[in-house]
Amino acid sequence: MRIYISGGAKNGKSMFAQEIAKKLSSEGHLWYLATMEPHDDEDLARIARHRDERAGWGFRTAEWGRNIALHCEEIDCKGTYLVDSVTALLSNEMFSGMSGEINKNAADKTAEELLAFSEKAENVVFVSDNIFCDAAFYDEWTDSYREGLAKVDRTIAEKCDVVAEFSCGQIIFYKGAELI
Amino acid sequence: MELIIGGAFQGKTEYAKENFGIGNEDIFVCNKDFAPELDKKCIAHIERFSFWCVEHGIEPAEYFFEHAKNIGDMIIISDDISCGVVPIDKTERAWREANGRLLIKLSKEAEHVTRIFCGLSQRLK
Repeated sequence: MRIYISGGAKNGKSMFAQEIAKKLSSEGHLWYLATMEPHDDEDLARIARHRDERAGWGFRTAEWGRNIALHCEEIDCKGTYLVDSVTALLSNEMFSGMSGEINKNAADKTAEELLAFSEKAENVVFVSDNIFCDAAFYDEWTDSYREGLAKVDRTIAEKCDVVAEFSCGQIIFYKGAELI
Repeated sequence: MELIIGGAFQGKTEYAKENFGIGNEDIFVCNKDFAPELDKKCIAHIERFSFWCVEHGIEPAEYFFEHAKNIGDMIIISDDISCGVVPIDKTERAWREANGRLLIKLSKEAEHVTRIFCGLSQRLK
């Protein structure tokens, strides 16, 4: 089963994703794919907080912040993976260059690698972010990132069994409501 | 009239092409620097038309209903620009509100209102 969850910040996406992943994992291991690459103390504190929130849920952690394809051999084929978040993965891939350049291929690479990964694992729950509904004119960097994230979202959502958006803690299904 | 809304880059124009049998030649893509041509079957990025209106002191909804022909047969596409932080810039603030007023009027007239999310559609009306 492949599930795609998106929506605005603080709308209940991660908690729902965690619960549904737990439910799906009855037959195999439950994995948390940690995507954040810490850059400072603030990031480390956030990671510690997320770890505390997951404590007791039975998650094993895979720290794959980028280059998912390199971990192909490590994928637990019977496992259920929670990928939180696609947004962070793309950011790691897109802005990882030493020269400060954008990696223009990042969206295609991320979408392709995540799809291949999700075909191998038993269950994958993806969490992404809706960053597409504001009234602003962005610089080229930010707009490339928004366009890239939309591309990843759409490519993976097309292949997912369930696609849903969260708003105020409520779930809005775009497909697969009957599977949940 | 069909009204299609959704966040940026979500696949709204592709949805219109696939579902209403239109091609690029049927679509006018609005630009915030020029007056729109409202005689095409499909008007995309109408939020940019709203920006042009605000910069010229025009209310988008008034201009649209005065100038558009065959409104009943049109397909209107807008980015949803309603969910971010209130813009600091005065024009952008006015733009966001004017586009909202336009969309409310359009959605009243529309036969269907469809929201696109991750390339998937949801019928709002």
